[in-house]
Amino acid sequence: MSTVEWGYRSAGQRLADDVREMLREQRDYRELLYQMTRRDLMLRYKQTVMGFGWAVFMPVINTILFSVVFMRVAPIDVGVPYPVFAYTGLLAWNFFASSLRFSVTSLTANTNLVTKVYFPKEIFPISAVIVSAVDFAVGAIVLVGMMAYYRIPVTSTVLLLPFVLVVEFMFATGIALILAMANLFYRDVKYLFEVVITIGMFATSVLYPVTRFGGATGALLQLNPMTPIIDAYRAVLLRGDLPSTSFLLSAAVSTVVLFVAWLLFHRAEFQFAENV
Amino acid sequence: MGQPAVVVHGVWKKFRRGERHDTLRDLLPSLAKKVLGRTRPHDLQGAEEFWALEDLSFEVPPGEAIGIIGPNGAGKSTTLKLLTRILKPTRGACHLHGRVGALIEVAAGFHPDLTGRENIFLQGAVMGMKRAEIARKLDEIIAFAGVADFVDTQVKRYSSGMNARLGFSIAAHLDPDVLVIDEVLSVGDMAFQQRCIERMHEFKRRGTAIVFVSHNLQAVGSLCDRALFLRGSVQQLGVPHEVIRHYVSSMSDLGAREKSLEVRIHSARLLDERNAHATNVAAGSELTLRVEYTPVRDFSHLTFGFLVYRSTDNLLVYDANLTGEELGISMVRAGQSVQIDFTFMAHLTRGHYHIVCHACHNPTQSFIGYLSPAAVFSVTEQRTWAGVANLDVRGRARSVCDAVNEQIAAAGASS
Repeated sequence: MSTVEWGYRSAGQRLADDVREMLREQRDYRELLYQMTRRDLMLRYKQTVMGFGWAVFMPVINTILFSVVFMRVAPIDVGVPYPVFAYTGLLAWNFFASSLRFSVTSLTANTNLVTKVYFPKEIFPISAVIVSAVDFAVGAIVLVGMMAYYRIPVTSTVLLLPFVLVVEFMFATGIALILAMANLFYRDVKYLFEVVITIGMFATSVLYPVTRFGGATGALLQLNPMTPIIDAYRAVLLRGDLPSTSFLLSAAVSTVVLFVAWLLFHRAEFQFAENV
Repeated sequence: MGQPAVVVHGVWKKFRRGERHDTLRDLLPSLAKKVLGRTRPHDLQGAEEFWALEDLSFEVPPGEAIGIIGPNGAGKSTTLKLLTRILKPTRGACHLHGRVGALIEVAAGFHPDLTGRENIFLQGAVMGMKRAEIARKLDEIIAFAGVADFVDTQVKRYSSGMNARLGFSIAAHLDPDVLVIDEVLSVGDMAFQQRCIERMHEFKRRGTAIVFVSHNLQAVGSLCDRALFLRGSVQQLGVPHEVIRHYVSSMSDLGAREKSLEVRIHSARLLDERNAHATNVAAGSELTLRVEYTPVRDFSHLTFGFLVYRSTDNLLVYDANLTGEELGISMVRAGQSVQIDFTFMAHLTRGHYHIVCHACHNPTQSFIGYLSPAAVFSVTEQRTWAGVANLDVRGRARSVCDAVNEQIAAAGASS
């Protein structure tokens, strides 16, 4: 039974109702999430010659480029072989960036479904994040090869990898929901996003540790929750360390961002059909 | 009957006219104005808002169909979008019990680059079907749509008819408790439309509650148990033929158009045998259409006539044309009004009809006078279920033996 009720409810009651509805919808429509994700993966495979090869190609090219820069032109010491440092960073960053790139237009590109059929629209950005996660998994095969080549030992800290993945997934999904929604109301968001994501890569420890920035800039960059996440990948995979304490803060931020974004999305959802 | 499957209770829906801020460039100045307090709070909204629906209420029990009819912009599509939860009511509530199937945009989820088979799974999921359920019904869906040879072809290569048929077929296999239908019967050829209608009757028998929006009043009349005439608010809710009649006649009041050309047609009245204004007439009775014409200049070689339409589906029933010579007015003079009585027999089946009058100039083959609708009437009779011409059928039964004897007697008499 589905009902649309309008009456007075306390803020707490409303919150509880909304959360219950959000979860119930995801359960009821899990098949659709699967089909949407499958659709996007199939399309990627169908329309391109290289298919998933692209998931590997871009980070590999970037790794080669930046290895030349940071090993020959301006050498830096990052504690592990630079190519594997850069590739890990690029892989994790690409997961985040491409999740958002696919999400930002995910609602506006599916106007027909948004305005004509009822289902939880979260499915669009969430499936965009899952598709990027598949790319991430494909790209990880190369990482395994590189780690073998550089004889980087795998330690027990690798068991924490799923935890790091989940945190990045939550953070990416939270931001993805906000961007998809924002772009539906204001189409500028898509252009603004491209600028911000380009700057974002250099403001995060993707190609070099941002700790090398000093002063006010350095302090400001400490607030970027993506840096501890990417550093955590390197810690558990390459260094055999535990993630830093700032990663725990990132995990907390990611949880809050996801929860708030999802709630906002859910509450704005009924306006989508009228505003797209 | 039990609990109604659809309950719409006091629903109001407000929309905003005009364009919304779509880019930040539009938003920022308006925000700035708001912040600086240059506008009164209602300047941006109040004037532009309007009620698309006012106090809509109805219920549909399981196994019953309700037809929503009304002119364009009456709020029919809005009602469907509220029922399918795409829009939220501004006030009031809609309750739908059970699985809701919507035949609104049956191919909305299709992706052109995927094959028919892949799209069945995708669209099925959009409509809320489980993978196992789709797999089980796959053959049936393909067969119903009649696309068996193309199921592994990309949908972008489909004709628009195939596309729509496949979409409808998926929706038709949903097994919903509530089915919401918007004018989808117009897709596909005759045979496919017939299958759709049969399918909907089947749904009804299985206890599905149906909400049906259509401009095809004949279809509403045959499928629905009740009809709702909507024009922003509920105008009438009741037995289909009564509601349709109310709708048709109210549309005629609104839409009387006279194309004022060179022959003005001022008035047209439909009279019965006792010279009274005829609105409800018995099948087969004699009617007189009395029309007044005023030519703007002198004319000869005119033809005067009228068309009779069935209002529920705009079927042209009769086209009457009488020349000036036949009527004894080979010449009409500027400013001198002429009255013509057309007498005809209403050999029609029960239904709602309207008449359109015209005057035609023969040498140039141009219409120089026009009045639509000139008259509106309903025919009452109790014998037929469908059709348009009243053939006035009578019957007689006897034994074959008697028939043979009668023939022999007739043969004997003639020899």
